[in-house]
Amino acid sequence: MTDSVLHVAAEADRVPRVRFWHDLSFWGLLPSRLLMGFALILPIFIIAAVSVATRGAHGGFAWDFNLAGYRQILFNEGWTGELEFTPQYLLIIVRTFLLAGATTLICLLFAVPVAYFISRQPPGRKAALVYLVTLPFWASMILRVYAWMIILGKDGTLPRLLEYLGFPAGTSFMFNDGATLTAMVYTAMPLMVLPVFASIEKLDGTLIEASHDLYGSRWVTLRRVILPLTAPGIVAGAILVFVPSLGAVLEPSLMGGGKQMMMGTLIQLQFGGGRNWPFGAAIAMTLMALVMIVLIFTALRAARREVAL
Amino acid sequence: MNKYLTATTLALCFATAAQAEGQLNLYVWADSISPVVIEKFAKEYDVKVNVDGYTSNEDLLTKLQAGSSGYDIATPSQHFLRVMIDEGLVENYGANTLKAYENIEARWRNQWWDEKQEYSIPIAYGTAGFVVNTEQYKGPTDSFKHFFEPDGELKGKIAMLSYPDEVIGAAQLYLGIPFCTEDQAEMKKVLDLLMAQKPSVAVYSSDNIPSRLASGEVAAHFWWDGEELKARTKGSPFALAMTKEGMVGWLDSMVIPKGAPNRDNAIKFIEFISQPENATEQMNFYAHSSPMKLVQEKVVYKKENAPELYPEVPIVFSRTCSPAAQDLVTRVWTQLLQ
Repeated sequence: MTDSVLHVAAEADRVPRVRFWHDLSFWGLLPSRLLMGFALILPIFIIAAVSVATRGAHGGFAWDFNLAGYRQILFNEGWTGELEFTPQYLLIIVRTFLLAGATTLICLLFAVPVAYFISRQPPGRKAALVYLVTLPFWASMILRVYAWMIILGKDGTLPRLLEYLGFPAGTSFMFNDGATLTAMVYTAMPLMVLPVFASIEKLDGTLIEASHDLYGSRWVTLRRVILPLTAPGIVAGAILVFVPSLGAVLEPSLMGGGKQMMMGTLIQLQFGGGRNWPFGAAIAMTLMALVMIVLIFTALRAARREVAL
Repeated sequence: MNKYLTATTLALCFATAAQAEGQLNLYVWADSISPVVIEKFAKEYDVKVNVDGYTSNEDLLTKLQAGSSGYDIATPSQHFLRVMIDEGLVENYGANTLKAYENIEARWRNQWWDEKQEYSIPIAYGTAGFVVNTEQYKGPTDSFKHFFEPDGELKGKIAMLSYPDEVIGAAQLYLGIPFCTEDQAEMKKVLDLLMAQKPSVAVYSSDNIPSRLASGEVAAHFWWDGEELKARTKGSPFALAMTKEGMVGWLDSMVIPKGAPNRDNAIKFIEFISQPENATEQMNFYAHSSPMKLVQEKVVYKKENAPELYPEVPIVFSRTCSPAAQDLVTRVWTQLLQ
């Protein structure tokens, strides 16, 4: 009895176990793993570490554990010298989320009809239109924002056109939230159109026909058939637009005139003039945590919907 | 086949060797160094010169603090130079033993930012204040009052810089508050002044200043004397305000960051650009005053045609603030733009 158990165990040992370095796929994926590790995960750990370090007198930091960076998000010395609740950074965070949310919504409103239109074109024209959507990516982001400055600025294309049509001369559309939003929607638009297009492409036309056959109105068809089936693309597009929009620096400072801080500009100030790297890192970590919460929430809802179906 | 490879490799080696004796990486204020001087230097010493630009001292400080920047020369202003010396970010290259030291005008040697002149050789100095577009604004410019508490013409037509450094200094001059004050009540006054000015400000930006002011998008811009002079000489309708409360002074110096890969070439360049002939060429390009001995007959910007460089109002140089004072500056700026 004991003998046979030992025998079986020995047998199991003899089964050639594949060492991971014998596995070809390990070596194949190694470059991308290293890249992810060094370019993505390591920097996040560095930021996390800096956020709990102690600030240097003139910038930089020392490796002493300190939570002052996080405390500062909510509590600061007031003008009377006492520690008090300061809502200013919360205000900046809320403003950043509102702006990113507005960007996402406007992109969605434009992207769904555009994607639907493209998907209904003959193949050749379809490819050409998709190519046109991606065209702005060929120019650098700063150039695209400058282009909008030329369009909206004083003596720009739009004010000139309005003047020609009889409106009063000399209007400028620059340096306000509308200008910021315009540039943000413009730069983010392709990120929304492409995933939405991909999911509308896959939409089975016969299902829409079936809905109509079953006396579903256009509205009901849209709500009960088209939207649920294209939801993955819409969610993917929304995330792709929302997350980078939270970190926008160029648009608020160039188009908005830098009159109101965003989280991106606040972080920049802390690493530059503010000379408070741990605080800058703490805001960056907070931004990342908030994004994670949004993403987890979206993922959970998507999972629940799948169960419901 | 192998023969060809070897031949090609050898040829490439010689080609690179022939290309340049060495490298020199400059990290300096954007468009601040004369291309003519750089080219002359590159030819004479057979060195390939790479130039990167920044638009604020803060950018430079942050980059040096982050370490191994790979740059050989940087040009911080005096109050940042002091920080860099104290934090051990720049090399002691024995500047006072160089020939360049002899070429510094006596009054600019051994100042508080580098008492023994071991770490730096100055390259340019000037002032910061506000510049108006004279076609847009015809009013008085003899006081910061017109800039910080504008009425009429300048309302909504003002542009500030995108960072607090010299802007807060100007506000302090206007209010009669010392630079780098640690007094909360005094800084609250600065904040109140800037908050009251904010509705009249179109933009807080340090980029694109010439075109923004020339196009009339704004009528008054916080700026530097030499930049205004250069644009005015080229035909822009600009005027630098000579404010009776004084103007904010700055002096940029050439330093060698710790761990610079081409230290020897950096010293060669500092010596080269400090020779009277080249210093004159540099000043004629940059249009800011030079702290070096010049070839007077070749100087383009003289008192008659460049009054900007010869202000008769008091000039107060920015100081290196204590961390507590610096925090107050940041707090004012954050509350202003919150």
